[in-house]
Amino acid sequence: MCSDKILTGLLAVSYAIYLLLGAIVFRALEKNEELEQKRAVIQMKVAFLQNLAHLTEADVEQFVKNLTDAVQRGVYPVGNESQAEDSNWDLCNSFFFVAAMVSTIGYGTLCPKTVAGQIFCVFFASFGIPFTIVFLHRVSKMLFLPCERLGRCLYERGMRKKKIKFLTLLFFLVMGILVFLCLPSVVFQVMEGWSYSEGFYFAFITLSTIGFGDYVVDKQPDRNYPSYYRFLVAIWIIFGLVWIAFLFNLLTTLLEDTEKKIAQNLHKRGKAGKDNEENRKRYQPAGFVSAEEPSLLGSGDAQKTVSLAAHLGDAKQVETIFSL
Amino acid sequence: MCRAQGDAVAGRRGWRLPGTLLLLLAYVGYLLLGSTAFWALEGPAERHSAQQLLQGKWELLGNYTCLKGPALERLIQDIIKAYKSGLTLQGNSTSLGRWDFDGSFFFSISAITTIGYGNLSPSTVSAQIFCIFFALFGIPLNLILLNRIGQLMLSGVQRCAKRLGEKLRWQEAAAILTRTCALVTGLLLFLLLPPFLFSVIEGWTYAEGFYYSFVTLSTIGFGDYVIGMNPDLTYPSWYKNLVSVWILFGMAWLALVINLCITLLENSSDLCQCGKKTSKGLEQELMDCNKNCSPRPDDVENGSSKDTKPEGAN
Repeated sequence: MCSDKILTGLLAVSYAIYLLLGAIVFRALEKNEELEQKRAVIQMKVAFLQNLAHLTEADVEQFVKNLTDAVQRGVYPVGNESQAEDSNWDLCNSFFFVAAMVSTIGYGTLCPKTVAGQIFCVFFASFGIPFTIVFLHRVSKMLFLPCERLGRCLYERGMRKKKIKFLTLLFFLVMGILVFLCLPSVVFQVMEGWSYSEGFYFAFITLSTIGFGDYVVDKQPDRNYPSYYRFLVAIWIIFGLVWIAFLFNLLTTLLEDTEKKIAQNLHKRGKAGKDNEENRKRYQPAGFVSAEEPSLLGSGDAQKTVSLAAHLGDAKQVETIFSL
Repeated sequence: MCRAQGDAVAGRRGWRLPGTLLLLLAYVGYLLLGSTAFWALEGPAERHSAQQLLQGKWELLGNYTCLKGPALERLIQDIIKAYKSGLTLQGNSTSLGRWDFDGSFFFSISAITTIGYGNLSPSTVSAQIFCIFFALFGIPLNLILLNRIGQLMLSGVQRCAKRLGEKLRWQEAAAILTRTCALVTGLLLFLLLPPFLFSVIEGWTYAEGFYYSFVTLSTIGFGDYVIGMNPDLTYPSWYKNLVSVWILFGMAWLALVINLCITLLENSSDLCQCGKKTSKGLEQELMDCNKNCSPRPDDVENGSSKDTKPEGAN
């Protein structure tokens, strides 16, 4: 038990160091390029404003086109010359960029523009994504402690196992929705000035790792954020990712069961006959895995595939936790 | 035993097929449902946005000699907002139609695969709420499909390994050979060759295409590069469909490879924990794959954790 905790601690520390290293490298690769581009665009803007009287309509058209190009390249020509010196690639932003990348959320508000940065991104993520999944897998064990405790408590009170299972599952879902989706939405409403639905939408899009990037926390220049804000958001993302992974796992299992039933019905109708009955009997029981025929019987296979959210769910783990 | 196996295989394949086809149909149907909904929900708002942007530009053109800083800032903000909803200024009009059916379809794909480019994202409240529920069920559906594709790939590789092993009369070498081949083929097909296609059609450099391929297949999806978004180019009609197929299979393949990495990582981190029944060593798994379908006692226990281990992608 003790060594388990030490191992988890080591894992967490090495993960943080990995992210930090990545952040430093990205900052080194990207900062200068970004500053140059920003300077160029803002100079263009200033020149435009200074020369208004001498410009023709065609010039203005060209200027607007240049602005549009800049926006498309991701350089936002807001502000004036003094703001051109603030790079987006300071250490803090780099760190959050790296974190968003390895969790596969990938907002895209900040992304590498140099070739070196892009290639480094590929190799860094190739190792970083599995690393993240392993790390979150460890974290998931912490997340289930309250559910286990509740289950044990109810068991001692003499409740039936099936009922305990149902109740702990319900507890898990409801508490999760409150703590990871509803509560943060209120916080974002206060801190970011979004509406409640926007906050909820942002929370869900982030935790499911879709990460559109249309809403991002901590990015509005005219707001004051407390220093612990980012740290809280990071904690929320870590645990929220784990929780939603299990939620998706449950839904996946549900869908797979439905699909199995429908496929079985089709099979019944398609092929009648004793042979087929025998075949079906041979292949039904769970857990018989042949090297040749990968098991159709899901029971949580699907979450083993892609997507961070998917990979964390493990049907066996969910079962053991919810059924003592 | 052999005959029974053969029958069983046939029976199983016959059973699989409706299942897989049904899944594919359900998947495409779900995507179509989503695209229609987003098209209906976002279309009107987009037109309004476009009008606003054009108006801002006309004002600028009309008044530019009297222009002050704030007005320009406002126009810039309008351009940024419009860009985020997929509009760009083109001469006297905007590139409308980002939320047309095609665009909505691609958006739905980017949502349920969790890639989430973000170059197009819902701006109306109803579309956002719909997006949440759409993704809530779409993501598991996508996972199931990807898992199915991954299993098909794996079983194909295992079958090849077995046949090769029979020819060479040396199972282990055949296994390693086929798996390396599979890995290299996957690498070529999904990561190394597509950038050439992108550089021809999109005009990106090879490095950019490679970067885009990886970012897409790993579902990070920054959105700085997105195919089919350049208003100055004309795309062949088969292009987007081909890319969608590539995304699907590529994601399944990359998932298998990442699974392998995770197995390696977790095996090495579990070394310190004795007494815990973990997944077997990789070598052991390779050996297991070569055996025929004979259930072993610990297989039954580790059942669901064993079969999608990416022995085939090794």
